[in-house]
Amino acid sequence: MALEIPKVSYSGKIKEIVLGKGDKALTVGGETSYPFYLFEGQMSLKPRIAMEVYDSTPEDWPPAALEPFADVVSDPAAWAKKCVDTYGAEMIALQLVSTDPNGENRSAEEAAAVTKKVVEAVDVPIIIWGCNNAEKDTEVLRKIAEDCAGRNLMIGPVTEANYKQIGAVAIGYEHTVIASTPIDINLAKQLNILLGNLGVPDGRILIDPTTGSLGYGLEYCYSVMERIRMAALTQEDERLQFPMVCNLGKEVWKTKEAKQSREEAPKLGDPVKRGVLMEAATAQLLLLAGADILIMRHPEAIGLIKDMLNDLLAA
Amino acid sequence: MSKIICSAAIRGAYKIIERAEKKYGEALEKWGPDKEVGFPNTAYYLPIIYGILGIPVSRLGDMKQVLDKCRSLLPPPVSDKVWLPYLAPALESGMATFFAEEIIEAIRYLEEPDFYTKQEDPAGSNIWLGAADDIILRKRGVEFVDGTAPGFAAILGAPPTKEIAVKIAQELQEKNLYVFMCSDNNGVRMSEQLLEAGVQIGWPTRLVSFGPDYTATVFAMGFATRAAMSFGGIKPGDFHGNLIYNKNRIFAFALPMGPVSDEWYANAAGAINWGFPVIADTPIPEILPTGICTYEHVVSNVPHDQIVQRAVEVRGLKVTVSKIDIPVAYGPAFEGERIRKEDLYLECGGGKTKGVELTVSRDMDAVEDGQVEMVGPDLDQMKEGSRLPFAMLVEVAGRQMQEDFEPILERQIHHLVNYAQGIMHIGQRSIMWLRVGKAAVEKGFRLKDLGKIMHAKYHQDFGAIVDKVQVKIYTDEAKVDEVMDMARKVYAARDKRVEGMTDESEDIFYSCTLCQSFAPSHVCIITPERTGMCGAYNWLDGKASYEINPTGPNQPIVKGECIDPVLGKWKGTDEFIFKASRQKVSTASAYSLVHDPMTACGCFECIATILPLCNGVMIVNRDYLGMTPCGMKFTTLAGMVGGGQVTPGFLGVSKHYIASRKFLLAEGGLKRVVWMPQMLKKELEAKLKSRGEEFGIPNLFDMIADDTKGTTEEEILPFLEETGHPALTMESIL
Amino acid sequence: MALSGIEIFKKLPKTNCGECGVPTCLAFAMKLATGQAELVACPYVSDDVRAAIDEASAPPIRPLTIGTGDRAVKLGGETVMFRHEKRFENPPGLALVLSDTMDDSVVNEKLSKFKDLEFERVGLILRPQMLALKGESGDAGKFAAFVKRVVDQIDAGIILMSDKPEVMAEALKICKDKKPLIYAATRDTAEAMGNLAKEVACPLAVKGSGLDEVMAITDKLLGMGLKDLVIDSQPVNVKKALEDQVVIRRSALVKKVKQLGFPTITFPGQLTDNKMKETLIASLLIAKYAGIIVISEMEGHNVFPLLLDSLNIYTDPQRPMAVEEKVYEIGGPREDSPILITSNFSLTYFIVSGEVESSRVPAWLLIKDTEGLSVLTAWAAGKFAADTVAMFVKKCGIADRVKHRKLVIPGYLAGMSGELEEELPDWQILVGPREAAHLPAYLKQWSAA
Repeated sequence: MALEIPKVSYSGKIKEIVLGKGDKALTVGGETSYPFYLFEGQMSLKPRIAMEVYDSTPEDWPPAALEPFADVVSDPAAWAKKCVDTYGAEMIALQLVSTDPNGENRSAEEAAAVTKKVVEAVDVPIIIWGCNNAEKDTEVLRKIAEDCAGRNLMIGPVTEANYKQIGAVAIGYEHTVIASTPIDINLAKQLNILLGNLGVPDGRILIDPTTGSLGYGLEYCYSVMERIRMAALTQEDERLQFPMVCNLGKEVWKTKEAKQSREEAPKLGDPVKRGVLMEAATAQLLLLAGADILIMRHPEAIGLIKDMLNDLLAA
Repeated sequence: MSKIICSAAIRGAYKIIERAEKKYGEALEKWGPDKEVGFPNTAYYLPIIYGILGIPVSRLGDMKQVLDKCRSLLPPPVSDKVWLPYLAPALESGMATFFAEEIIEAIRYLEEPDFYTKQEDPAGSNIWLGAADDIILRKRGVEFVDGTAPGFAAILGAPPTKEIAVKIAQELQEKNLYVFMCSDNNGVRMSEQLLEAGVQIGWPTRLVSFGPDYTATVFAMGFATRAAMSFGGIKPGDFHGNLIYNKNRIFAFALPMGPVSDEWYANAAGAINWGFPVIADTPIPEILPTGICTYEHVVSNVPHDQIVQRAVEVRGLKVTVSKIDIPVAYGPAFEGERIRKEDLYLECGGGKTKGVELTVSRDMDAVEDGQVEMVGPDLDQMKEGSRLPFAMLVEVAGRQMQEDFEPILERQIHHLVNYAQGIMHIGQRSIMWLRVGKAAVEKGFRLKDLGKIMHAKYHQDFGAIVDKVQVKIYTDEAKVDEVMDMARKVYAARDKRVEGMTDESEDIFYSCTLCQSFAPSHVCIITPERTGMCGAYNWLDGKASYEINPTGPNQPIVKGECIDPVLGKWKGTDEFIFKASRQKVSTASAYSLVHDPMTACGCFECIATILPLCNGVMIVNRDYLGMTPCGMKFTTLAGMVGGGQVTPGFLGVSKHYIASRKFLLAEGGLKRVVWMPQMLKKELEAKLKSRGEEFGIPNLFDMIADDTKGTTEEEILPFLEETGHPALTMESIL
Repeated sequence: MALSGIEIFKKLPKTNCGECGVPTCLAFAMKLATGQAELVACPYVSDDVRAAIDEASAPPIRPLTIGTGDRAVKLGGETVMFRHEKRFENPPGLALVLSDTMDDSVVNEKLSKFKDLEFERVGLILRPQMLALKGESGDAGKFAAFVKRVVDQIDAGIILMSDKPEVMAEALKICKDKKPLIYAATRDTAEAMGNLAKEVACPLAVKGSGLDEVMAITDKLLGMGLKDLVIDSQPVNVKKALEDQVVIRRSALVKKVKQLGFPTITFPGQLTDNKMKETLIASLLIAKYAGIIVISEMEGHNVFPLLLDSLNIYTDPQRPMAVEEKVYEIGGPREDSPILITSNFSLTYFIVSGEVESSRVPAWLLIKDTEGLSVLTAWAAGKFAADTVAMFVKKCGIADRVKHRKLVIPGYLAGMSGELEEELPDWQILVGPREAAHLPAYLKQWSAA
C-alpha cells in the first residue's frame, strides 16, 4: 500500500533579505513552504541566530546566563567580540535597554557611541534593538542610523508610532527596518503597507510579530506567526511575505523559572540546564512557527538550536 | 492654460536657453569638451538632467546633447493669431528651462569656483550657498520623508519690505517648511532682507539662500529631483516616476515675489511639472483647474499676510499640531475623572442649563484655522459654583471633508474634552454636560481652552479629512440659543440622512476585520441598513474610518452584482469575504440567520437564534443574564457562535440592526421575532413599534414575548397563540 | 464532513424533554456539534439517526484512552492542522522509559523522581503521566515481575514494550485492567499482537518502518476489528520524524486515510544520545502532532519546559487560561505596600506579577475574575466594571491587611477611575502605567503616604 502524500500547494514565497554588509553579510527568507516541510517546498536559506549584547551591565541575570559573559558584560564591544570570536556568533543583536526613559534614560548620543564601538569591533550583521519607547527609540535609532550610514544595520522595533521617522532614516542611510506589531496579523500587514508607502524598499523589511517566552504567552506568538506564514505562502498576502525576527532571549531569561536557583526551586532540576532548555525550547517552537532570525542569549542554547537546524535542514 | 502665461513662459525659455548656449560656447572654447563639470560632492551629476533625462553630465562636452534636447523641447513662439491649448508646450518649455539653468550654474562653478560657499551656512560676506551636496541632501531629505519638513517654498524675488520678509519666513518656518530663496525683485533679495533684519539664514534655520540669480531655482528643483531618486528609489531617467513622487510627497510650491518676468514664468512653468503650484503676490493671470498639480496651478494677487496660508491650502499641505497649549495636563489617563460637587467650579448643560455641542463642515474660505471665539463670560469672570448656558460650535473645513463625517467628528468631543485634567464631560449633542473643577481653574484653565483642544486634536487625529478648524464657544444666552436652533436642524437632517440610506442606494459597503486578532476568519459586512454586530460601527463610521486610515480594518467593498436580494448576497461582498477570511468563508448573507449567516466575532451586542417550536426567532442581548427559551444563556450562546465560525441558525446582531428594514429579511424580518428580554424590548420600543406598523401589524410589538412571559419555548408558545403572533403561521423556519 | 448544529437538530426528537441534561434539543445539538456532548445522552434517537450522526461526526483521528482513573491519558480526536483553526484537543502523553534490565535501585530512584515531577500552574497540575516499560531481557517472567513491581508502586499510564507476543501476554496478565498500551505490533507479529489486544481490550501500537509499512499493518488490524491503534513510523532522523508526523495528521484530516487516522507514539531518544537535544526533539514533537513522546530521562530541568510547551500549544486559543480570583502576595507585602488590581487572564497575571517581582517592591496583587479575559476586553465585556471591581475589593479583605486606601488600576482603564471612586468612597484610585513593563519604575516611586 503506497501512500500518496497530500501536499499543500504554495503560491507565495518569502522575500529574501540581505543582512549586514560585506563578506559576512547573510541572507534570510526565500521559503516556499511551511517551516522545515522540505518534502513539499524549499528552505534553502537557513534561519540565523543573533547573539545578544547589552549596552549596560545586566543586573538581574541569573548566574547561568551571566557566566559565559562574566568577563565582558561591562564592555559591549568586547562582549560582541567574544560572541563572535569565542562562540562563533553569525550575528549580533545590541539591546539598547539603558536608553529607556523609565530606566537609566541614556541619551541618543551615548547610545550611538556604544553602537559605533560595537559596529567597529565585529564584522557580522548587527541588529540594533531600542528600548520599546516609540519616542525615545526614534531619537536613538535616527542618530545611530546617521552615524552608521551604509552599514545596513537591522534597526527596530519600528512601530506604527514611529515608522515614518525611523523608516525615513533607514531609506536615507541604507538600513533594514524591523517592523514591530503587537501579536496581530492585520496590524503586521498594515505596518508593512505603511512602510512600503513611505518608500522603504521590500528588501529592507523584517517582521517582528512580538515574542513571548515559553510559559508566558508563547502560544499567542506561535499562532500569529503561523497565520502570517500561512497568509504569505498560501493566500497571496504579498505584504506579509517578509522574514520574521524573534527577540526571545530577554523574554525567556526574565521569567521566574529561568532565574530561580536550585534552592529556590528544588523540583526544577539543574538551573543552568533548565534555563538553557527553556530558551532553546522557546526558540525551537518559534522556528516551527516561521522565525527566520532568533535573538538568543546562552551559547549552549544556541548550540542546541544550530544542531537542530542542521538536522532539520539536512539534505 | 492662460495664453498670457504660456506665451511669457515660452519667451522666457528661449532667452534662458540662448543664455545657456552662449555660456556653453564660451566654456567649450576656454576648457575643451573633456573638462570635468558638476555640482560639488554629489553622485547625481546635474540632478534635474540626470533624474529626468537620465544623462549623466560629467564633462563639458556632455552638455551638448542636453542643449539639443532643450531646443527640441522648445515650441515655436506663440503668435497672436493662434488660439490653442498651451499647457503642454509651456510645461515643456519649463522643463527645458531647468536643463539650461543647470548648465548655466554648472559653468558658473567652473568660472567662479568660490561663487558659492559650498557649506550649510553663509561664509563671511558670501551668503550664497549653491547646490546642496549629498550629505545635506540625505540629512534634510529624511525630514521630507518622515514629514518633519513636509516640503519647501521656492521664493523668487523679495517682498516689498524686510518686515514682511521676516514675517513670511517665520510663518513658513512655523509650518516646518524649508524656504529656498533666489533671484531679486528690482535688485532687492529676500536673503539679504532677512540678514538685515537680523535673522540667521542657512540650512540649520531652514532659510536657504541658494543664489542671487533666477537660475538658482534649479538648486531647489534639483533637491526635489534627487530626493525622489535617493528616497523613492526612482531610477535616473524615469521622469514620470520622479514627477509623480514629487507631486505626491514633496509639499513644495513657488512664491514669486514682485513683478513676474518672462524668465520667472519659464521657471514657474517648470515647477508645475513637479506638481508644485505657483502663488504670486502680483495680479498675474490665474490657472485654477486642477490637473498636473493636486489642486490649483497658479493663484495670484494674494496679499502678503495671507500668502503662506493660501499656499499651504493650494498645495494641500496638512497642518501638524504637536502640542496642546493649555494650562492643565492632557491625556487618556484623565478620561475617567469625576468632578464632585465639592470640587466643582462651573457646570454647564446636563439638564441644569442649556448646553449644546455641534461639529459642522464649512467652505475652506469660511474657516480660519486655529481661531477660537468666545462670547459671554469665561471662567475668570465667574464665581465658584456657578452655572452657565453653553454652546460649542466646531467648524471644520477640508478638501477631503464630507458632511457625512460631521457626526463622527462630533462624537469625539466627549473623550477629547475628557482627556483634560480637571474637566468632566458626559453625553453629547444637546444633552451634553460639562463640569470644570476648582483645581483646573486655579491652574488657569478657561473655557476658551476647549477650543484649543478641539483644534489640536482634530488636526492630530483627523488630519486626513480636516484641514482647518475654528471653534466658537458661547456662554451668552442668546448666542447659545442660536447654536441650539442650528443644532436641532442639523441633527434632524442627519437623522433623516441615516434613515433614508438603503442598501440599494449605496454601491459601496464597508468591511470590519478589527476582531480578526481573536476571530481569525471573521469578516463583518457593514451596509447602510446593517450596522456592525458590535453596534459600534455603522456605515458612516466605516466610511470615515477608511478615509482616516486607508490601510486599516474598515475597507470599502464595491458590492457589485446582487446575487440574492432577500438573503442579502452580492458578488463583491462574497469575493471580499473569501479573501479577507483568508479563504475560510466563501459566502455570507447579510440578511439571514439560517442560510450562510455571517461569521460572528465575539463582540456582538445581541445573538439571534431560532426557536423551532415557535417557528420563530429569539434575540438576547449581552446584558441579559438569565435563561432564554432556546435553552442557553447569552454566555453559552456566545461561546458557541463566536470566534469567527459560521454557525447556521445563530447570528450576532447589533441592537440597531434589529429595527432595520433588512433585519432577517430572508426569514421574514421582525415578524419572525417571538421573544426578547424585556429590557431589550423596552430599549427598542419606539423603533420596533413603527416597524410593526410598516408591516401592517400595528400591535406586533405586543405580540413579542419576553422574560416576564416565560423563558422556555413551552411557556411562551401559549402566549404567542393567544396574541396570534404571525410567526406561527409562516412557513417553517428550518 | 461534520454536521452543523442545525443539521443535527433536525434529526433529534425536538421534544425539549431535557433528559440529556440540556434544556432544549437545539442546545443539545449545538453541544454535539462542538463536541461538548455525546449522542448517547439522548435516549430517544433512533438507531438509524444514531448511525447517521455518528458516521458524520466520526473523528478523523481516533480518540482513545490509555490507563484508567485519575491518570488516564486521552489521545487523538484532533481535527485541525493549526491550533488557531480551532484548538488542539489532547496534549501528548510524556512517558519515561524503564527497562527490566535496569538495576532495581536505578528504577526506584527514577520512579521516585517521576512522582516528584508535579507542578501547579493556572490551577492545573502539570506532570508527566506515562511510563514505558521495556521488556529488554526478552524473558517473559522477568518482564512480568518487573511490570508488577512498577504498577504496584505507581499509578500511571502504562506502555508495555516488547516485540514478543508471548512476553507481552505475560505482562498483560499483570496489568490489563490498567488499560496499558501494547507496543507494538510489527509486520511479523500483527496477527498475534492483534489477537492479544482484542482479548484484553487494550489499545495497540503499530510499529512499521515508514508509513507504507505502518499502513499495511493498521489495515490488517482494522480488518481484524481493532479500533484503538497508535502509530510508530520509526523515522530515521529528526527531519523524517517531522515529515512523518505532518503527513500522518494531514492524510487523516484532509484525505481521510483511515489507516493513518490514529494518534502517534514517538521516541526522541532514538534520534540522539544527547539528553538536552532529546528534549528539544520532544519539544518539536509536542508542537507537531505527536500523541505520545517517550523520553529516556526525566529531570525537573527537562520535564518542566516540556510541560510548559505542551500547556502553551494545547491552550484553547478561543478560551483564555485564567488564574484564581484572590489576593496574591508578592515579595512579602506589608501594611504600607501598594495594592494593584488586574484581570485573571493568565498571561496578564504572569506578566504583571513578574514585573512586580522584578521591581523588588513588595506588593499586593488583586486578581479579579474576568473569565480569563484581558483587561481591556474584560472591561469592554463588562467583566471589569466599577461595580464588580468594587465588590471584589470589599469582599477580598485587603482593607484589613493594609493601613492605606490606595488602589492602582491598569493604565488602560483610566476611564473608570471616577466611577470606581464613587463605588469605593474610602479609597483613592490611582491610575497605573499602561504597560506592565513600566510597573517597576512606577512602583519604585509609589508611596503610601
